[in-house]
Amino acid sequence: MFLKSKTFIAFSLALLSFSQHAFSLQFGNQVDSDKLIKISTVMASPDDYLASPITVEGTITGVCEKRGCWMTLASDKRFENLRIKVEDGDMVFPMTAKGSKAIVTGKLDKIQLSLGRTKALLAHKAQQAGESFDANSVTEAMAIYQLVPSGVEIIE
Amino acid sequence: MSNKSSINWFKLNRNLHRDIGYFCVGLVIIFAVSGIAVNHKDDWNPNYKVSHQQISVSDETWQLDNDELLIEQIISHADVSEPVKASYWVSPQEFKVFLKNGNNLSLKLNKDIISYEAIEPRHVFQAFNRLHLNETNESWVIFSDIFAGLLLFLAISGLFMIKGKNSPWGSRSVLVIGGMLLPAAYVFL
Repeated sequence: MFLKSKTFIAFSLALLSFSQHAFSLQFGNQVDSDKLIKISTVMASPDDYLASPITVEGTITGVCEKRGCWMTLASDKRFENLRIKVEDGDMVFPMTAKGSKAIVTGKLDKIQLSLGRTKALLAHKAQQAGESFDANSVTEAMAIYQLVPSGVEIIE
Repeated sequence: MSNKSSINWFKLNRNLHRDIGYFCVGLVIIFAVSGIAVNHKDDWNPNYKVSHQQISVSDETWQLDNDELLIEQIISHADVSEPVKASYWVSPQEFKVFLKNGNNLSLKLNKDIISYEAIEPRHVFQAFNRLHLNETNESWVIFSDIFAGLLLFLAISGLFMIKGKNSPWGSRSVLVIGGMLLPAAYVFL
């Protein structure tokens, strides 16, 4: 009887452990929670975070449909997000992870756009948001930032 | 009287070609099917079936100051029973609701519509593509290297299986040369 109880407890613990891990997807290295920083803080002054790895967390709001090579994380600030980008095949993010929470450790990458590309990007964003856009109002080229991850954990 | 044993290379080659060929059937099917799927990924998503349905919602006063109430309104309009996973304001004009089953709803205020996106994984193609694109683990890379070696063996051993007028060294060499020239033509032309 005692043995049966022990077996039952061991089985329950194993099941509990499995159920905890079954809803978490791991890509690459372990994420480093000690480096956790809010996306809004990073996006407020992104150039300050280019030098060393950072960890961010947020809800997954978009995933690359074809190759799963990028996803966007919602910021803690409204209407803001951060793109997580990998080389094709390095990590494959599932489309069904939209709405799940992700924790990502990686290096922030700065991409400086030309004035023409800046206008095209802002026009595209305005079109998606259903807003009007005047290309002549843009006079300065902008930079975009994306996180190149070394480790990603997706929690269902 | 000599009892000299000699290897029949012709027979050995045929037997090896036959058995390795049998072994490679499953792998060839996986690589061929996922090869076609990946070639046409711009026309057709091999990993997911994604469908969109639009619901017109013109005469509605939305609870824009309370996300929970807004979610309830959207769910009610879309008539879905799946639990909600998360929500997100994409822009002042767009609010998204993510459902537990991976699908999502977008309320587009400027267009007066709710867009329902249903995502259905294509499990078999996903598995084939993961193998083809080496997205599993490093041991698969080693195995697929071995498979590539076996394909090379099948190609070369195939040249020594037939003797006589149907051998690839006679008039049928045209087929062998044609198979080599065709990819070369794509490179140089």
